[in-house]
Amino acid sequence: MRLKSAHKAALRAGWWLASLAAAGVAAAWMTVGGERDLLLTGPLSDAHHQIGTACESCHAAPVFAAAEDAEAALNKTCLDCHDSELRAADDSHSVRDFRNPRMAVYRERLDARLCTSCHVEHSPEITRKGAVTVAADFCVACHGEGEQDVRAARPSHAGLGFDTCADCHNYHDNRALYADFLVKNAHQPWLADDPMHALSARQRTPSAPPVAPLALSDAIAPATALADPAIASRWAGSGHALSSLNCAACHAPSAPPDAAPEEVEQNWIGAPQFSVCRDCHRMQARTFAAGRHGMRQHPMISPPREPASGHIGAWLPAPITRWFADDPHPQRMTAGEARIAMRPGAASEALDCGACHGSHAADTREAAVEACASCHNDAHTLAYFGSPHHALWEAELSGDGPPGSGVSCATCHMPRTERRGTVVVSHNQNDNLRPNEKMIRTVCLDCHGLGFSLDSLADPDLVARNFNGRPSAHIESIEWALRRAFPDAPR
Amino acid sequence: MTLTEELVLLLRDDEGLPFLVREDMVACVLAGAALLDLAFDFRIDTDLESLIVVDSAVTGNSALDRVLARIAARGEVCDTSTWIGILSAEEAPAVLESTLAKLERGGLLKEHRGTFPWRRGRLRPDVEALGASRRRIARLLISDDFPDPRDIALVSLLDACDVLPDIFPGRDVDDWRPRIAQLRKMELIGREVAGAIAAIQRSIVEEVRARAAQFRRVLLEVSTAAAAVGAAALLLPPFPVADRFGTLAEKLWFDSGWQLWSGYALLAIAAGALLAGLCPRARPVARRGGFHWWRLAHAGLGTACLLALFVHTGFRLGAGFNAGLMGCFLAVLVFGALAGVCVNGAAALRKLGVPARLRFLPLRLHRLALYLAPPLVVIHVLIVYLY
Repeated sequence: MRLKSAHKAALRAGWWLASLAAAGVAAAWMTVGGERDLLLTGPLSDAHHQIGTACESCHAAPVFAAAEDAEAALNKTCLDCHDSELRAADDSHSVRDFRNPRMAVYRERLDARLCTSCHVEHSPEITRKGAVTVAADFCVACHGEGEQDVRAARPSHAGLGFDTCADCHNYHDNRALYADFLVKNAHQPWLADDPMHALSARQRTPSAPPVAPLALSDAIAPATALADPAIASRWAGSGHALSSLNCAACHAPSAPPDAAPEEVEQNWIGAPQFSVCRDCHRMQARTFAAGRHGMRQHPMISPPREPASGHIGAWLPAPITRWFADDPHPQRMTAGEARIAMRPGAASEALDCGACHGSHAADTREAAVEACASCHNDAHTLAYFGSPHHALWEAELSGDGPPGSGVSCATCHMPRTERRGTVVVSHNQNDNLRPNEKMIRTVCLDCHGLGFSLDSLADPDLVARNFNGRPSAHIESIEWALRRAFPDAPR
Repeated sequence: MTLTEELVLLLRDDEGLPFLVREDMVACVLAGAALLDLAFDFRIDTDLESLIVVDSAVTGNSALDRVLARIAARGEVCDTSTWIGILSAEEAPAVLESTLAKLERGGLLKEHRGTFPWRRGRLRPDVEALGASRRRIARLLISDDFPDPRDIALVSLLDACDVLPDIFPGRDVDDWRPRIAQLRKMELIGREVAGAIAAIQRSIVEEVRARAAQFRRVLLEVSTAAAAVGAAALLLPPFPVADRFGTLAEKLWFDSGWQLWSGYALLAIAAGALLAGLCPRARPVARRGGFHWWRLAHAGLGTACLLALFVHTGFRLGAGFNAGLMGCFLAVLVFGALAGVCVNGAAALRKLGVPARLRFLPLRLHRLALYLAPPLVVIHVLIVYLY
């Protein structure tokens, strides 16, 4: 009998040890390093799924921090990446506004100081368009009663349900929807007399000839690198060669500008990384890292953990810390990881500068359309070919249309801006995509009227057809704004 | 072999696996059997209001001596019902343990090693002794002979546990019901032994039967309802959330603050259910309430766990470790509920042709899943607090 009791006790002790070991391993995954996919409480949203292995990018609070501190740290990390976007959007509900003590009553209903009040990760069931995780009628929280009651303040809104707010308004970016802006652009024709994207026109208009362009014979590179004449030819026709940039500029960045061929060969890099491009194209690299294509290279994405340097890892034996080491985070997004339709053959295509611009030609025209269509396989992309915008782009390429008259993928999705007299292209192709009204001011209005633009972007079928046709929906924002601005005007 | 020893032997199948009987029922019949053994040995006497020791000399049987000493040591006089309650709650495990040891020493139970070295060997009954006992019982039930009072008591106690159909799987026990009812009335005893013994026996057996049947119906109903809810949680899609701001469902299942508190509540209820399941094994705690009440509390808290789980998750199964915990938790609850159905609804399941082994399965799976739960709960809590 005693033996049986001992057997039972040993089994019980073994079970407790095994349980403790399992919990210990999981705790080590959390705090020291190692695979953490199993710890995810749910899949990440489309916005962040690429950086799912870099938990600390968002979960920045120290281990066992107080709940308030953990929430504050989490929300701070949102701004690490999205702050400039919110500033540019002239955020309609800025955090600063809600810090005002007078807003306390509204904060009780929905704490708008915290991004996580409306955008919770790992909750696919309630994640809606724009990664919003509160119900569609959330505006009722603040605008349903009291001095902010929109139905009382705006007679035009009296009979509207709060689930319809987002049909016309955005929470953060309403730059294309301000009443003054609507009134000012109320009576525009659907198409301008001289439709042309002004900044694209400036960018694509041939400027003065280059001062000292390099020719094929000027290429300085190891013999093996020059063995493929096609590569050298692509370089010779590129903007790099026209700007006097020899092979060494990218392939031997550590060699001095006037380095001898031997020195170039000594410092030669076969496949230059993103950082080499970034050295010269800083703005492009910065915006690239802010979009879906390049977000893995955003400077605020946390690197893999160093187990030996952590609080717990510091006193763990080296073999254990090695075993618990994080896998290196993938540095580049591949088309195969995308959650939207991609061409099957493009699955392994890794996204960096060369993926769109080509390694040596750096052809911005190819990057503007063909590069996109080489991966994207959704209805909108497929419908582009044969659309009016595509016809204009073809005409411009063939010389039948003036510079800036063609509409490529990049025209709409990589908006141009002017900085200190220079036209710069944002490489964050998501910058004006969600909500799509963000596109109106910077792109659409160069050629189209505001009313037509609003209607077109509000028609999902027309967007899927790549604007091949006329909008079937009509957004009455302009009429309402006019009625409010000029109540006595005849209707 | 004493009545208690034969009862313990008969409560096992040929492989030594105990029949699926509620632990509180087994405790009751063991307490009753021990009292009957003492009564047959003229060590105790009963009337309507008291059960007293008439001869406190040791019997030589450690289980019976333990019970006898316990009764003799108590200052106040208690009736049969009270003693069965006390003994079933406090002495039944020890009686069972020492009876098993005596049967093993006598060669009536032999330990057979399991397949796996870490598994404790099972005590298998001696086939001849078990067969002889079963044949004697069967003869008693099919004949019109005047039975031995011990056998009457044995049949009554076995019937109280509802294990006769399991002991005689090839027979239609329903045909024996009139004979069992006749035996229960103890009318046959008077011709053989003194009327006093018959009275003692009747009072003990009836008390045991009444206690054994206590809560059976309510436990069956609660278990069935819990099993249905648990199965629905596993098979049906999660409870939907209306697309309206500020609904209770939205707060319950997607607000981290609310989830934290509902999680604590769930943990507390689950701990309560676990304790209610384990407490009857701890004598000082068992003394605080009847074994049956703990069993009812176990079933009630288990069902409450399902409701708390719904409040905490809306029966969303989750992902990763959380899915593992959810699966484990639902397995514990659903198999627990099914075990309740199997134990308390044995008669109905037998009629449906569910074999005894299959009826045992939910209880085993309930315990197995329970072993996995603690580390998963710890990991879940760590995930919540670290991320």
